[in-house]
Amino acid sequence: MSNRNPLDYSLNRPISSGSSPIGYILKDIPLYLGLVCVLSFGLIMLYSSSGQSSSMVIRQTGYVFFGLALMSFVSHLKPDSYKNILMHSYWLGILLLIYVLFNPAEGYSTSRWINLGFFQFQPSEVIRLILPLSLAAYLCRKDSTVKVRDWFLTPLAALLCSYLVFRQPDLGTSIIVLTSGLIPIYLAGLPLKIITAYFGLLAISLPFVWASLLDYQKQRVMTYFDSNVDPLADGWNIAQSKTAIGSGGIFGKGYLEGTQSQLNFIPESHSDFIFSVIGEELGLIGILVLLSLYGFIIWRIFKIGFSAQSSFERLACCSLGFIFLLFILINVSMVIGIIPVVGVPLPLISQGGTSIVVHLLAFGVILSAKRPRL
Amino acid sequence: MRTLQDLRRDEEELRILRGRSSFISSMLFILFIIGLFKIFQLTILDRADYEVESDKNRIITLPIFPSRGLIKLSDGTIVAENIVSHGIYIESRLFDKVQDQIQILFEEILNEELNLKIATKDLKKDLKIWLAQDLTEKELAKYELFKNQLPDLKLETTLKRYLPHGNLFSHVIGHLGKIDQQERLLFSKSEYSNSSLIGKVGIEKKYENFLKGSSGVSTVEVDVYGNKIREINRIMPNRPSDLVLTLDLELQKISKEELSGRRGAVVALEPSTGYVKALVSSPDYNPNLINGSETGKLLLDFPKEDAPFFNRAISGSYPPASTLKPFIALLGLEEGVINTKTIIEDIGFFQLKEDGRRYRGWKEDGHGKVDLKKAIVESSDVYFYDLASKLTIDRISSFLSKFGFGRLSGIDLVNESESILPTRNWKLGNIGETWFVGDTINIGIGQGYITSTPLQLAASVSAIANKGPMFQPKLVAYVDEYKQHPVLINNVKLEDEKHWKIIEDSMISVIQSWNGTAHNLYDENGILIAGKTGTAQIKSLVDQELSVREEYEGVRQDIKNRDHALFASYGPIPNPNLVVVVIVENGESGSTVAAPIAKKIIERHQRNIKNEQ
Repeated sequence: MSNRNPLDYSLNRPISSGSSPIGYILKDIPLYLGLVCVLSFGLIMLYSSSGQSSSMVIRQTGYVFFGLALMSFVSHLKPDSYKNILMHSYWLGILLLIYVLFNPAEGYSTSRWINLGFFQFQPSEVIRLILPLSLAAYLCRKDSTVKVRDWFLTPLAALLCSYLVFRQPDLGTSIIVLTSGLIPIYLAGLPLKIITAYFGLLAISLPFVWASLLDYQKQRVMTYFDSNVDPLADGWNIAQSKTAIGSGGIFGKGYLEGTQSQLNFIPESHSDFIFSVIGEELGLIGILVLLSLYGFIIWRIFKIGFSAQSSFERLACCSLGFIFLLFILINVSMVIGIIPVVGVPLPLISQGGTSIVVHLLAFGVILSAKRPRL
Repeated sequence: MRTLQDLRRDEEELRILRGRSSFISSMLFILFIIGLFKIFQLTILDRADYEVESDKNRIITLPIFPSRGLIKLSDGTIVAENIVSHGIYIESRLFDKVQDQIQILFEEILNEELNLKIATKDLKKDLKIWLAQDLTEKELAKYELFKNQLPDLKLETTLKRYLPHGNLFSHVIGHLGKIDQQERLLFSKSEYSNSSLIGKVGIEKKYENFLKGSSGVSTVEVDVYGNKIREINRIMPNRPSDLVLTLDLELQKISKEELSGRRGAVVALEPSTGYVKALVSSPDYNPNLINGSETGKLLLDFPKEDAPFFNRAISGSYPPASTLKPFIALLGLEEGVINTKTIIEDIGFFQLKEDGRRYRGWKEDGHGKVDLKKAIVESSDVYFYDLASKLTIDRISSFLSKFGFGRLSGIDLVNESESILPTRNWKLGNIGETWFVGDTINIGIGQGYITSTPLQLAASVSAIANKGPMFQPKLVAYVDEYKQHPVLINNVKLEDEKHWKIIEDSMISVIQSWNGTAHNLYDENGILIAGKTGTAQIKSLVDQELSVREEYEGVRQDIKNRDHALFASYGPIPNPNLVVVVIVENGESGSTVAAPIAKKIIERHQRNIKNEQ
């Protein structure tokens, strides 16, 4: 199977009779529709939240189409055919993270960006999807059962990535990277004994981790517990964001009518805080519509995942599904002020090329797990 | 091919996956429920609070300050107005970014060398940096041309207070200045901003509340940077009041011309109303330079004694000197100490006791036999030394107090001085000594402790002119269309009304008689004026060995020690319509320096009245 040309799918064509050619190309029409709805919704809200900048929307649309193309391409590959590539892409991720640590892009105080001239991207955004996929691929290596040492190697691999991100320094993202790495390990069946041992270790090491945090990172965590710590920075951002969502009420102030967003009171309104713009302008209704669309997408992910053939496909789909859900929950929780501010964009909505392309790539992996039913 | 073992393993894996998925799902579901509850709380339960919060963010209210009220004369002449001034500024936070625009402004529009020194600490604050002010028409036109290249430089139009007559009304109208801490406490906060201008002196200060009007409110939507997005609502300010002064332009001009920069003051007022017709203090200053409505430097290197900002007419306390004699004489008549036939022998000095101190008169050989009339006409000091010694200080001060000495006249200006009307208690409290008869003797000729301002003197002379009634001096005749009615402050009642006539007659004779001290004013066909000269000594002549003239020759070497020239007068008789007091510091002679000015003013006033009719 693995020697086969990945694009040699014509053999299967007659078998998938009953579904339309479009259905064949798109593989899962409902998921496609869901994605297109969310992406369009995102572009429309981006226009409002970016201060009605059409250039930003056009740029973002470009990323969306690039991402969709990439997704379609990957969706027609056989998972087995790229499993090894995914497994080894871990090392590429590590390389990128080390690269940014030593070559910070100019104009940023933290070393998070890689500048490719035409395109800037954050390796940490890539790594939080690459890491779970590579770990899933590793845990489902061909012809091998999971060995005990894997339960130690894989968390260590996740911890290494997380540490490199932490050194950028970016505490929030490093926790997220660690979480997204641990999800496939847990789902793959990490024994409970080992989990208990890890928790014990964590409890012991926590004071040392706190001591190694930078001042502003401690500040961020403290801001969460007491918003009076630095009301002018993060506390202020959260207050403005809550004010935006609260004042939007049930029906919102109307598209392009949000005073908090249009008058720039919401910080980063086009990226991390775009959810508060949605809340302010479209109200609770808009929020519920968006969450329903997300829910629909997640339902499709798990539907595909549990009906997948190989263990790798199942593990990859479920991991990605949870990570996608986790990102949404983290972003929304942050914007409404129930967790501290961390740099997580709202998936598929927030402005940012890296985020969009990587997420759509992940959906390509998910779609590739769907086989036409016999 | 899949083996059975493979299938089993698959099954086992799927079981674990499902189990663990449900566990993660339930964890995330809890987070989701918390989030959803929080969203409901924000958008439904606490919505009203957040709506208020959101409006507080974006809506600010700005006061709209009305333009300041005008000040006019009764003939419609404008003496204080507001002129438009254009300036160009930049917000400090943009300063570093727009150096090229500033370059264009200076090179193309102002044709000036770029010469800006701005403290870096100022750049951090949020303030306006003025690059140019008081743009000319030409510069304004050029600015319009280059406007597109200068998007960040902003043009602002402000109103500046302008007095078309420059110095002429400086001590009446005064000037404006930035509001200070104390004034902020005194006035309503909403009516003034931190950079508001407020009347600092003169009418501008006294009538601040009328001239300012009350501010309106503009409700404005702003963005997070405080930039104005749009106006939501506007309440227009209340128009301020315009003032009409009682002053007469011509009399004011003559007074200033006649003083011609010498230190001194002129006060002319209408005795029947108290309306001030001229009030000039010299030297003066140009309020426009302080108001910023005229460019130029305010000269500050004047001699110290010039004090151009000091309003001598209302704040300068001078010894009234011989101008006090008519009042002392009136008291003598009232108390029966003297009558018109009382004669004393003026031998050039007065002594209480045979061997006591000699109180010398200004005329060394004396005036010979002197009755009341001659005492006033020739200004015999000895007659009044004698009279005062018999009157006692208690009677003198209580009588003079009726004429307003030692009290504020209540003119509608600020910084009026009370001057000094000495009493026994006053001396004990302020000098720390008991009252001596010698002090009373000096008061008899208006010297010693007694002082009065030119305005007080004018007000008290108006009581003689009116034969009793005294009106509060007033500068503002109308606030908008509301007439400011004369205020009677006192009505001096005499035991014998004939005494008024006696005093007036002697004051007429000061000019009319050949031996009068102001006979130089006499004009056979002219109007009849009553007056009294005065020469206020600054330095006491104490040397008993030298004659008065000899000693004064030494004293006058220093101009600052020379006597002040005074003249208090009213006319025309019998129906006086103007009281004029003139003082020329160090002018030496009341009759030749001060009196002619007063005469010109009274004559000019008659012509004005005739022209009006």
